[in-house]
Amino acid sequence: MILKPPPLAAALLLAGVCVPAALFIGLMAGSSGWGWPQGDILWLIRLPRVLSAFGTGAGLALAGALIQLVTRNPLADPYVLGVSSGASVGALLALMLLPAGLFLAPELGAVLGALAATSLAFLFTWRAMGKSGDGRIGNQPGTVVVLLVGVMIGAACGAAVSFMLAIANDQQLRSLVFWLLGDLNGASLWWPLWAAVGIALLLAWPRARELDWLTRGDAWAWTLGVPVAKRRRLAILAACIATGAAVATAGSIGFVGLVAPHIVRLVGLRHARALLPFSVVFGGVFLVLADTVARTLIAPAQLPVGVVSAAVGVPLFLFLLLRRSQAR
Amino acid sequence: MSAAPIRLNASPVPLHLRDVALRAGNAGRQLVSALSLSIEPGQRWALLGPNGAGKSTLLSAVAGLSTTAAGEIRLGERALSQWPARELARQRAWCPQFWLDPFPASGWETVACAVVATQPDLSAAQAELLARDWLKGFDVGALADNDVRTLSGGERQRVALATACAQGAPLLLLDEPTAHLDWAHQVLLQPLLSAWSAAGGTVFAAVHDLNMAWNFATHALLLDGQGGFVAGTREEVLQAAPLSHAYAVPVSVLEEGDARWFRVDLSARRD
Repeated sequence: MILKPPPLAAALLLAGVCVPAALFIGLMAGSSGWGWPQGDILWLIRLPRVLSAFGTGAGLALAGALIQLVTRNPLADPYVLGVSSGASVGALLALMLLPAGLFLAPELGAVLGALAATSLAFLFTWRAMGKSGDGRIGNQPGTVVVLLVGVMIGAACGAAVSFMLAIANDQQLRSLVFWLLGDLNGASLWWPLWAAVGIALLLAWPRARELDWLTRGDAWAWTLGVPVAKRRRLAILAACIATGAAVATAGSIGFVGLVAPHIVRLVGLRHARALLPFSVVFGGVFLVLADTVARTLIAPAQLPVGVVSAAVGVPLFLFLLLRRSQAR
Repeated sequence: MSAAPIRLNASPVPLHLRDVALRAGNAGRQLVSALSLSIEPGQRWALLGPNGAGKSTLLSAVAGLSTTAAGEIRLGERALSQWPARELARQRAWCPQFWLDPFPASGWETVACAVVATQPDLSAAQAELLARDWLKGFDVGALADNDVRTLSGGERQRVALATACAQGAPLLLLDEPTAHLDWAHQVLLQPLLSAWSAAGGTVFAAVHDLNMAWNFATHALLLDGQGGFVAGTREEVLQAAPLSHAYAVPVSVLEEGDARWFRVDLSARRD
């Protein structure tokens, strides 16, 4: 199979068209039909929601691209770090323990939960990777540790969630399920999210080439002069920041983090230096559009955006998987 | 193969091993003990020995990837452990037996990784040109734009060898460079390695084929798998007695002028 050079100029052009177009569609479409919204609806409801959707999709896609590189696993997504499950636990705890209707309670709970899970995942992988004292490869655990730590944290959080679902009353159950599915309804704090995604991208992008070399083997990358353990920690830190912020804003929205980097690769942007920024752009556009569908399809009722992104993401992913196995 | 674009980006230095002991894993069985030898620039060494004798372990220790159980490896004036990874990358290239290619990448992009990492002074276009030249040198120039994941074992191996050479480090550490290679390309490898050492570079390659070893090497290190070793010129090491001892099969040597041929006497088993 011949690989063409990455279509950078075309991708830049496409991004320049798609981003404003998606934002425009997101702003124009509403529960009451198509049209430019009135002052307060635009500034207080539509715009913050569209910007939150963009930031959430961008953060999850960036984290997905990073985790796939670090684990050398094309099927990994940001949630293998266990961050989303941590956020869910935090949010559910807030919903169940605090009085109903308390302002921003589940959001803050999610932030704390995501932070706790992030720190835990980060601490464990950091410790496991830092063992070979002088930075040489030795018997470094590498990718398996990242996956195992994430799976363990995810399993613990999953048990906690099941426990809370079992003891919740009917009204609590409704908001719990909504949170678990992922939802942008009422997501308005867009700027901390954008800041987090920006920081994550700035952390990882300057080292993108080294992350590419790492995918071909830790030992080989080290013989090229790459400080393997440091770079791996950096990528995981960036992925944790982006995922934590996204989940705290909108709950566990699936498939963006898994599928967005693959679409970008399919287009031919296979190097991390292009993959990371274009995953951010594509993930953002994808989720703005998915959210627009979610809140207009059965208006005035709203679907959780997780339903829409999964409905698009699952078939797309299975298609990719099929293509992959046929290419072998 | 004088067309090989040899471009060494560090001055070659000798490699010294003193009383080196190697173990399989951290507390595993002893592979080699008290191994001492010097490898000078311009020499080509064949690393020989039965399965599990420690060939790959020794190569990765010399690459700086793993530590020795005892003894010291010096590269030039400094102990190997004193070399920063980035400087070491300009001094030695390591070509492993196995490669991971989890994501799509073309042949030249794979080779260019090693060029970009170690020769930041080259522009992107120059790096691509050097990568393509090396692929041509190993007769995979026509596959330079193909996804490496779709190449055959032997083609992927030649991309790997091109990558190691393109790194431009004088000391080439090759782990079974002829694995998967057909005869034509095994033959192709020999003048390339000769040109490499003629340019001042050093070759240290683990091989299984004794005839190949005789043809490409100036020196040989034979590990016997029980902690012992023989090191010296190829004439000293590639003899019937040490080979038969190390491989535990009767090896006979046929001499034909300057050439030597090696064969195993399959009818008799030595105990």
